[in-house]
Amino acid sequence: MVETLVQNIVFGLLLGALYGLAAVGLSLVFGVTKFLNVAHGELLMLGGYVSFWLFNLYHVDPFVSLPLAALALVVVGIVLYSLLFSRTVKMDEEQKVQTTMLIGFGVSLILQNLAQRLWTADDRSITTAYSRMSWTLFDIRFPIVRVVSMVVALLLVIALQQFLQRSYFGKAIRATVEDWEEATIIGIDTHRVYLVAFVIGAAFAGVAGALVSVGYSIVPSMGLEWTLVCLVVMTLGGLGSIIGTFVGGLILGVAQALTAFAVGGAYRQVVGLLLFLVVLAVRPQGLFGVKEG
Amino acid sequence: MLNVEHINVGYKDLQVLWDVSFQVNQGELVALIGPNGAGKTTTLKAIMGLRRPWSGTIYFEGQNLCKVPAHKTAELGIAMVPEGGRVFTGLTVLENLELGAFAPHARKHMAQTLEEMYQLFPRLEERKFQRAGTLSGGERQMLAIARALMSRPKLLMLDEPSFGLAPLLVDRIFAKIKEINQAGMTILLVEQNVRAALELAHRSYVIQNGRIVGMGTSEELLSFEFVRSAYLG
Amino acid sequence: MNRRDIAFVVSALIIAAALAVVPSITVKESVINLLVLVYIYVMMASSWNIIGGIAGQVNLGHAAFFGLGSLVSRILWTKGWPLSVSMILGALVPVAFALIIGAPSFKLRGVYFAIGTLAMAQILFITTRNLFPMISSLPTEALATYSLAPRYYVALGMTLLTVLVVFWLSRSRWGLGMVAVREEANAAESLGVSALQHKLLALCLSAFFAGLAGGVFAYYSAGYYLFFPFFPTWTFDAVMATYIGGTGTVIGPIIGAVFYVLVKEILALRFVELHPFIFGTLFILVVLFLPGGMIQIWSRLRRLFRRAAPAPSEEKAMSESDMVHDRPAVE
Ligand SMILES: Nc1ncnc2c1ncn2[C@@H]1O[C@H](COP(=O)(O)OP(=O)(O)O)[C@@H](O)[C@H]1O
Ligand SMILES: [Mg+2]
Repeated sequence: MVETLVQNIVFGLLLGALYGLAAVGLSLVFGVTKFLNVAHGELLMLGGYVSFWLFNLYHVDPFVSLPLAALALVVVGIVLYSLLFSRTVKMDEEQKVQTTMLIGFGVSLILQNLAQRLWTADDRSITTAYSRMSWTLFDIRFPIVRVVSMVVALLLVIALQQFLQRSYFGKAIRATVEDWEEATIIGIDTHRVYLVAFVIGAAFAGVAGALVSVGYSIVPSMGLEWTLVCLVVMTLGGLGSIIGTFVGGLILGVAQALTAFAVGGAYRQVVGLLLFLVVLAVRPQGLFGVKEG
Repeated sequence: MLNVEHINVGYKDLQVLWDVSFQVNQGELVALIGPNGAGKTTTLKAIMGLRRPWSGTIYFEGQNLCKVPAHKTAELGIAMVPEGGRVFTGLTVLENLELGAFAPHARKHMAQTLEEMYQLFPRLEERKFQRAGTLSGGERQMLAIARALMSRPKLLMLDEPSFGLAPLLVDRIFAKIKEINQAGMTILLVEQNVRAALELAHRSYVIQNGRIVGMGTSEELLSFEFVRSAYLG
Repeated sequence: MNRRDIAFVVSALIIAAALAVVPSITVKESVINLLVLVYIYVMMASSWNIIGGIAGQVNLGHAAFFGLGSLVSRILWTKGWPLSVSMILGALVPVAFALIIGAPSFKLRGVYFAIGTLAMAQILFITTRNLFPMISSLPTEALATYSLAPRYYVALGMTLLTVLVVFWLSRSRWGLGMVAVREEANAAESLGVSALQHKLLALCLSAFFAGLAGGVFAYYSAGYYLFFPFFPTWTFDAVMATYIGGTGTVIGPIIGAVFYVLVKEILALRFVELHPFIFGTLFILVVLFLPGGMIQIWSRLRRLFRRAAPAPSEEKAMSESDMVHDRPAVE
């Protein structure tokens, strides 16, 4: 009994790391651009399929293909930004958030529909030679694939945090978040800052999706659930920091695991949504703080 | 050096500047004075490219600024110190200064300019690792000026540097502005503090209700009611 | 009521009367089925429009109202309650739900309201999917006597009711207050309009007619999964139809819904499930470039035509146009 509980928590943490990775992407985009890209879950789904097909058609190891999944999403991100989202840059904040949210819904429908037509509505998952291997510690299983995924997620999040904190362009991003007009005055091209943030967010979604396709499974309709997960995580942990958002992901993962343990797997999604509503009720003025790394 | 020619500027459907023209020559310290709401900040924003004139043109060293994207203005050699000493409060003093040198030509000389700024404003070096939000009003104003100078501009524009500062601090800031000008920097100084501005400037323009209503030296401008009352009051 | 209002009501009645004879001139069930679907979509879009368009609060949980309405009506009706009572209760339960969630959720501004309502609807969706995983079928004897005609008339009648109420609302003090709340929440407050009251009323009316649509669906369908009406697609379809037609107007959502269902069905004949792609694209284009929807094209043409024709007096032009309602929620 205790062992099952601990095992559940471990699985929750491992999945939560992917929640955190995906949510950090969405939260970076929102923090910098104030775009609420609700197609984030679909970007994640695309990343999953890139990895899946590279493995199935060309036998590329899913961890080797991570950069390719990221690259594919960078391209998608550039297209989406230049074609659609950039048109909202000049709007005032509230209108921008709402308009980008609506655009995001349109995009998510389109991507989901395309994925279904191209790749069918079946569940897919990558099965490698090492898929079923796991380490065991005190009778608790640590599936290798998921542990490695967690490490990758953690490294990426730390890398992003360091990039924002220490690199010159990272500082420019933070400056733009604080005051885009002032940033423009000193010569920062805010359009480029927005594009970079948007594209990093998309790439994070892509990598998260690729990791989901190895450790779990992907399906064209997974987007909405993942978008909601990212919004919940942003709310739980994203009150001002990248690392905080990642921790929010871990918290949600564990909360879901405990719910599944207590009342059954069917309600695991509900707990996050409920947490979200509770936090909203406590802080109705809004939750997504300024990202400061 | 800077020629503003007959610009009309507004927000949405509200016109703020009406046929505004003036010029700033190499090495000059020119003041643009006028009461609150006259359109001074709007003029500077138009020069920076943050507000596009509805009509008219702005030339900087012969180049039409209206055709330059806003973020490229700094690269051409124009720096602006925003109203109220606005700085990036969440970033450290050093980070603010580093970002001041964002334009490519300035970035190459970053280390050297930074040394110069620390000499000009020793206070900033003492506080370089502090968040700009923790600085006092006067220190912020100095940081804002230093950040603008980090881009090694040819023209420095200051928007009401005296705003909200104690008289003693105003004197200090204005002494610095004079020092910078005497070192060869061309300056466009926007002020409501008429007395201080006129004492410093070679020439001044008076702007009221979005229109340039006068130009000249301090004595010449005393014929304006607005200037006179500012002097007496 | 001025002349224009009477003209609207009369033409609505004439169109409804014309549609009422359809079952007697065609025996094609596919036509009837298609029209019932159109009616349900018109009800969904028009009811979403009350809160999302007129009052300007983007509610992404509309499926919850539709789902609750259908769930309550279906269960009561199949238990032997009279249809009318079942449907009325099916419309009132969502109103009660709206009252419960309304006050806290209107504390949320803008996008938080949207996400919050989506989260709530998803919670209901998941919960009902777990509690009622079964298909609800009509009893065999009921299936044997299943007839489309009464279902068609109920759907048509409820749609007419919805449209007329929305029209009345848009002309009423309450409706104008909702528009004021949408346009400038703070200014409206200072004008003595209670923003919360207006939003709450809008949400309740919206819930009522969505619940009624759910009742129509429950009465119409021979068999379906009880959680099916809770699918978020119902929300997204209503939102898209409303935006494409013209959000915030009375006619926009109707046109949008008719267009949506017809195009969807035509597409379904030739291509498999291509409509999300088409509508997604159309929706984005509308949001970015034509925030007034298809109605906006019409009013632009009309204005062009007016300018060409001898100009009517200013006053007349004002009373003739429904510009207040032509203003989209998102500009
Ligand atoms: N963002 C804005 N939107 C609308 N009107 C503005 C805006 N900024 C300034 N104004 C108006 O333009 C006029 C001039 O403002 P400004 O240039 O800031 O004056 P000054 O700097 O001389 O005090 C004022 O009447 C002000 O109300
Ligand atoms: Mg000003």
